Amino acid sequence: MTNTYITNATWALTGEKIDLRMGHGDEPITIHRDGIALPGISKVTPAGEMQVPAGARQINAEGKILLPALFDLHATINIDGHSKRESIYRAGQAANRGGVWGMLVMPSRGFVFDNAATLDSFDDAVSQRSLATMVPAGCITEGMKGEQQAPYNTLAARGVTILSDSGNMPASLLMLHRAMKYAAEMELTFAIRGDVPCLSHNTYMHPSSTSYLLGLHGTPACAEEIGIETIIRLAKDAGVRLHVQTVSTAEGVEIIRRAKAAGMKGLTAEVALHHLLYTHENVGDYDTTFKTVPPLRESSDCAALLAGVKDGTIDCIVTDHTPCLPFAKKQDFVSAPQGMVGLDTFLPAIYTHLVKPGKLSWAEVVRACCTAPVDIVNPYDREEDVPVAAPLLLFSPDEQQLITADSLSCGTTNNPMLGSTLSGTVTLPINR
Amino acid sequence: MNPRKDLITINSLSDEDIRTILASTSAMKDIFTKSVKKVPALKGKSVLTLFYEPSTRTRSSFEVAAHRLSADVTTFTVSTSSVVKGESVHDTIDTLMSMKMDYIIVRHKNSGIPAVIARHCKAAVINAGDGAHAHPSQAFLDAFTIQEKYGDVAGRRVVIIGDILHSRVARSTSTILRRLGAQVAYMGPGPLVPPRQHTGIPRFTNWEQIFEWKPDVIYLLRVQNERIDTPFFPTADYHAAFGVTEERLRRIDDLNLSIMHPGPVNRGVEICDTAMEYRNCLINNQVENGIAARMSILYHLTPQTQCHD
Amino acid sequence: MPTISKDDIERALEAWADHLLQGRAARGSAQLAIVGIVSHGDVLARRLVQRLTAAGCPALYGAIDITLYRDDLDLRGNRPALRSSHLPFSTDDLHLVLVDDVLSTGRTARAALEVLWEYGRPARVEMHCLADRGGRQLPIQPDYVAFDLTSAAADKVQVHLSELDGSDDITY
Repeated sequence: MTNTYITNATWALTGEKIDLRMGHGDEPITIHRDGIALPGISKVTPAGEMQVPAGARQINAEGKILLPALFDLHATINIDGHSKRESIYRAGQAANRGGVWGMLVMPSRGFVFDNAATLDSFDDAVSQRSLATMVPAGCITEGMKGEQQAPYNTLAARGVTILSDSGNMPASLLMLHRAMKYAAEMELTFAIRGDVPCLSHNTYMHPSSTSYLLGLHGTPACAEEIGIETIIRLAKDAGVRLHVQTVSTAEGVEIIRRAKAAGMKGLTAEVALHHLLYTHENVGDYDTTFKTVPPLRESSDCAALLAGVKDGTIDCIVTDHTPCLPFAKKQDFVSAPQGMVGLDTFLPAIYTHLVKPGKLSWAEVVRACCTAPVDIVNPYDREEDVPVAAPLLLFSPDEQQLITADSLSCGTTNNPMLGSTLSGTVTLPINR
Repeated sequence: MNPRKDLITINSLSDEDIRTILASTSAMKDIFTKSVKKVPALKGKSVLTLFYEPSTRTRSSFEVAAHRLSADVTTFTVSTSSVVKGESVHDTIDTLMSMKMDYIIVRHKNSGIPAVIARHCKAAVINAGDGAHAHPSQAFLDAFTIQEKYGDVAGRRVVIIGDILHSRVARSTSTILRRLGAQVAYMGPGPLVPPRQHTGIPRFTNWEQIFEWKPDVIYLLRVQNERIDTPFFPTADYHAAFGVTEERLRRIDDLNLSIMHPGPVNRGVEICDTAMEYRNCLINNQVENGIAARMSILYHLTPQTQCHD
Repeated sequence: MPTISKDDIERALEAWADHLLQGRAARGSAQLAIVGIVSHGDVLARRLVQRLTAAGCPALYGAIDITLYRDDLDLRGNRPALRSSHLPFSTDDLHLVLVDDVLSTGRTARAALEVLWEYGRPARVEMHCLADRGGRQLPIQPDYVAFDLTSAAADKVQVHLSELDGSDDITY
């Protein structure tokens, strides 16, 4: 393989301009003080100092930003009515467009990761069809039914490091407590969304002026907050690592902040990008694209969640990518499925709505979307017996893209960015 | 009034639309005084009533209204079993479109269903109540009844009492009354009255506050236990705490206030027996005006079924 | 633009009322009712009834809104606003004079006849109008016309009456 030279790239973490040589390096080298290992990079110099041999492949990255590709800790890839291979291919393609090199795939109707055979066939399909690394999250309970623990030992042997019932809180805390104690021995992490199902049953959005106007029953914030407090105490008692999924309320952030301050180890948390950007007002006149679980809340919650990301209380920003067929989303708000897709637009949306307006720095984005999720999942190549490392991507912040149904690769159009123009396009892999 | 295909919420109407429909309600009511209580305005048109929730009163009110405008009325029976079977609203819409209906009057337990139907068919869709969202024809008959009693809605004070949280009547009627210049307040058991910052409407929790507020009209909502799976409040308390008791009726009489109720009335719960005979009880006027208001609504909507494409 | 003035209209109403008075004998025992079509015919009907009453020949006054009986409701994008009809008597055995401001296609008159029959069975119905601008599409002819404008390029006949429009005149 010949070397590729990238010149005049702006390194996201420091803003410095650098030249890089890709290829011909045995060891991944660590650049700068941020301690990020960069596989495939054999030399880094300040811009203008690298000698590019005549005839070598050169990419002039003037005006482009170089950063590690993103890892999405929360993606559901099943598309109803499509084959599993198609669902995998679509998600991988969308991920690459959105700057995502790898994702934790939640168990779903199409991918019930509670047995070895399903995991094996998933891995096969991923290796044949996916443009992105896909790490399956094992089920907490068989069939995600919340009753009987899945065989964690079998799942762990297939490389599973995270367990989740994909947003469903098991009804029996006793079962969950025992599951945690059992799984703690295998160093597994539980990824759970805080919820008290009997409080959120038959509710459809945040209790608010919008829910009043539309006559939709509200999901009380306390259902989530009691849920978060509950799973934190269970995990602490069981001594298991806990990752709190899709926090949506200010008080939820505060509960996690207090637990971390009290010294709880192995506690991490995530926020979905849409909970940073949207409120109940976006539901407008029953816009089902904005039907999510947990629901979109108040702007004060958005602000508290963002503050949580900045101070590290919230470790990761995720897509909570959930494909829904247009037909399903065209139903009435109560009947329509929840969720939005976000892989296609992940990095451009983060840049347009958070980095560009100065709400998040590139360093914070890299921590929340690149390094922290990888640290939680520890993606591992079992064939090569090495950790899988993040590739780099080039981001062109000045290129605009209009998001249309045709421009989305993920297979469905329930993307809240549809019809809007985002700043920035992604080149991943970098020497494409 | 600008051409309008559907009536889904009061919010979607302009002030002019509201006033036009109200004005025509009065003309429609005059038709009742003739020996022939029928006009040919919708001759040859077909009206479908599509009720996913049982409601004899609203449905027959619409049916009488349609008959008086000379339309043909078909009743589409939606068995609960086909809903349970998971027949989607889209499948039902396809069926309805093949039937070439001009007007569809729909009631459903899910908020937002009539809007979905309206978007996907050419017939004029009238929301006859969806979940806790809206019940615009009730709003028109209520506004008309108050206008008839007081000459004008503007400047009146109306307190709506009961389960506001689950009530589409409270939402639509408060909206139309406020648009017409009335002041509205809510009163009911704490868990059933949403906070003022969500509704923009003053929130009371007892009768003393109401009497202090000096309303003109006491509007009682039906206590609907069938819609409440986990109880919100002890129902045994309701009459004594929130209902029109004999004692409160005397005060209402002294102050010359009117009483309204969308029906059907739970005697002994929202209202004591004698209140039904009270001189300012407008409940029967509401029923009568309901037909006129629904005639006016049917008349003012223009289905797109006669356009050829 | 040719104009018929307030004074011309005044004289025409005088003659119109005279014509009705003279018909008294022919009507025999049938009671006279003047029924105007809203929104201008009813004003003319009221003025005629006032004149007749002053001349010692009282007549019933009625007003009808024919909107719900129009044959073109489907052809219009929107629905015209409704006004209340005012016909507080049965039309049984009455001698009815239907009054409108302008007679043209005859479709309004047809609708008006349909309305009247829902209030009873009149002994006789006459059609009177202030202006006839021609262009009939139905076999309906007026019994009395105050201004014959059939020869005018008359599709722009506009009747203004002070009760509704602030002044009395006809332009065409």
